[in-house]
Amino acid sequence: MSQSRQYELMYIVLPEVGEQELADLHQQVEVIVSRFGGTLDKTEAWGRRKLAYEIKRQREGTYVLDFITGPGEMVKELDRRLKVIDQVMRHLIVRVDEDVRIAERRRTEREAAVAKRRVARGLPPEAPDRFREDEPAGRNGELDAEDREGE
Amino acid sequence: MSFEDKGGRGGRKGGERAQGGQRRSFFRRRRVCKFCVEKIDYISYRDMKLLAPFIPERGKIQPRRISGVCASHQRKLQLAIKRARQMALVPYVTE
Repeated sequence: MSQSRQYELMYIVLPEVGEQELADLHQQVEVIVSRFGGTLDKTEAWGRRKLAYEIKRQREGTYVLDFITGPGEMVKELDRRLKVIDQVMRHLIVRVDEDVRIAERRRTEREAAVAKRRVARGLPPEAPDRFREDEPAGRNGELDAEDREGE
Repeated sequence: MSFEDKGGRGGRKGGERAQGGQRRSFFRRRRVCKFCVEKIDYISYRDMKLLAPFIPERGKIQPRRISGVCASHQRKLQLAIKRARQMALVPYVTE
């Protein structure tokens, strides 16, 4: 009876690890995910990035970000395995579905309130385009290319 | 409207009473929560552009009383910064 949930997995690999090994690591993650009946929705390779502080005597690391859907047991297993793999300097798994849902609800509530106010003032519910509060693209953590380089 | 009024009054007050040396010697702009204004509901630890203004040089998290962020957004910001620290995106401390 395990529920499917959305997670974000980010891990930092030693900088000297090559393409091939990186692909192997990715494969390992994928295998674990599929074993628990989850899906790997998207992968973002951030590439080499300067670390904010030294980890294992390293000043740089290769960042990989995976968007995963699956049960909680899967996370447990991923966590355990990533801890064991030496090439992975650090990893973080964050559950996102709940927060995203709350954010979405807030947004729809806000839009409804705006529409209501507008109607009360005798205006059409939708604001003209130039006043619209559209969500700026690339929000919610997506980095632009310039950011990724690291300072 | 009322916002501007307040600003004007505050500024004048500061100028006139400069000799008094009271607590409000200059007008300070009323601080508003950046996240409320921009209607950001979810603060991701990956969004460095969003977090950067709240991490001063030392690497500490900027207190609410300075940044003007509202309580609920400060909590979310705090969590995001702490996660970013774990992933070495943001320093714990810098000398």
